[in-house]
Amino acid sequence: MEVRDLTKTFGSVTAVDSLSFTVEPGQVTGFLGPNGAGKTTTLRMALGLITPDRGTTTIGGTPYAALPRPATRVGAVLETAFHPGRSGRDHLRVYCRAAGLPARRADDVLAQVGLTPAGRRKAGGYSLGMRQRLGLATALLGDPRVLVLDEPANGLDPEGIQWLRGFLRHLAHDEGRTVLVSSHLLAEVEQTADRVVIVGAGKLVREGSLAELRAESVGTVLVRTPATAQLTTALTGAGAAVESTGPGALTVTGLTTEQVGAAAFAAGVELHELRARTSGLEEVYFRLTSGAEQYAAAGGAAS
Amino acid sequence: MSGVVDLVRAEWTKLLTTKVGYWLVAVGALMAAGFTALFTAFAGEQGGPEGQGIPPVGTEAYGSLVAGVPAQVVVIAVVLGVIGTTQEYRHRTATPTFLVTPRRGRVVVAKLLAYAVVGLVLAVAAVAATVLVATVYGGARGGAPDWTGDTVGTLLRSGLAVVVYTVIGVGAGALVRNQVGAVVGSLVYLFVVEGIIASVPATADAYRWLPGGALAALTGDGRGTDLLGTWEGGLLLLGYGLVAAVLGAVLAVRRDVV
Repeated sequence: MEVRDLTKTFGSVTAVDSLSFTVEPGQVTGFLGPNGAGKTTTLRMALGLITPDRGTTTIGGTPYAALPRPATRVGAVLETAFHPGRSGRDHLRVYCRAAGLPARRADDVLAQVGLTPAGRRKAGGYSLGMRQRLGLATALLGDPRVLVLDEPANGLDPEGIQWLRGFLRHLAHDEGRTVLVSSHLLAEVEQTADRVVIVGAGKLVREGSLAELRAESVGTVLVRTPATAQLTTALTGAGAAVESTGPGALTVTGLTTEQVGAAAFAAGVELHELRARTSGLEEVYFRLTSGAEQYAAAGGAAS
Repeated sequence: MSGVVDLVRAEWTKLLTTKVGYWLVAVGALMAAGFTALFTAFAGEQGGPEGQGIPPVGTEAYGSLVAGVPAQVVVIAVVLGVIGTTQEYRHRTATPTFLVTPRRGRVVVAKLLAYAVVGLVLAVAAVAATVLVATVYGGARGGAPDWTGDTVGTLLRSGLAVVVYTVIGVGAGALVRNQVGAVVGSLVYLFVVEGIIASVPATADAYRWLPGGALAALTGDGRGTDLLGTWEGGLLLLGYGLVAAVLGAVLAVRRDVV
């Protein structure tokens, strides 16, 4: 999937500004950015729902709207949309018919997302998690190789988020599908994504593998020792910033756990605990996107 | 065009898996039955604000009056068509619908075809209810209409009007997209605006060119004297249906789905 020079203006607001990126096949790509960064508009343009002012999106070389039987190539969950009076199963059967798929696909995908027991109930009575599953089931009807999901974790409870992560991992890593998943939180895709595309205010901020991003992140390490003074000297000598965070506890910035352990061993210091506190990815993401919110809080107040 | 056949079937599935369609057809049949029963019950009575009565049962005038009853159901037909398209925007299913079929013009064409058939079902229900009540109740009161020639013609043209109004509703819904706005708007138009235009002398001339005037000409319910001929009225009504359909299709293709 290739996005080239996509641009869209709503009134005086440029929602998406000359955005270009690539989604690699067989990988999970996290599409990240603060709220209002233009993620949804980009995805809707990529899928032919919004006409861009400029630019193109192709999937395997063809624009979405020109794909023959697009439901069998790309599945998308952009919002959880259904008629509240129609059962989940009937909802799926409608789209089976429209896509020219056999009606039994409705039962297949219900089972796939674990919604079979609720399939004959009206969708209006579904919980948020069930609605999200019904949306996923709709996207999976045509057994597409590419999945596009817009903020799928929004509004899910922790259990739902965990299920979703596992399900996406399964779709991508076990079944080899290409997944593009948008989120405003890095943590949400950190465990699932291979690559990230980060946008801010409609512009591309960063595109690359999560490993690359991790490499430039500066993590912090928590270490507990009875000999804080001695260890501080050793770590400072190794180029780290050391901060005391309680009796016998130090927070080290600039070294990996391995490097801290090696320094302590070399200095002959006894350790009681040694663990990575943050990966630093969140900080990198925040630095990349700060100030790029469409409606940044005055004074740049960070939450 | 096997794709369009699939889409037409998808539209039918949509309608058959929710309640609104069944309700509207039932209400349409009840409406036709009710009006027929009312005309039959008061047949032969004189009076009314302008002194015109209801012709007695068994007369030709009674037959043609009753045969025009299904045309009253065009109100239900418009609502049915409007809901057919606006439902997609109200419940935001336009997104999955247009994702499955990015060629949006096909979706609208399928809706028009599907709802022409649904309108036919509504028309058959209304005509059947009318014929049933007029035959049984009219017969009991001493003179069922003889369903031949002119009466049957009026009956069929009334049914045709129901089909065309369903198609107009689909187009109007695609135009307005807001369900409440489209339903209220079409009802206000049918009940208020056309009535005013028809009764104000300065604009009365224009009435015959409006859908209501065309409907009156087609079904010959006798309102107004300078209407178009029966078939000119029918063609004009079909024209309105086509214009609504084309406008609806073009707008659905061009507007962003957000």
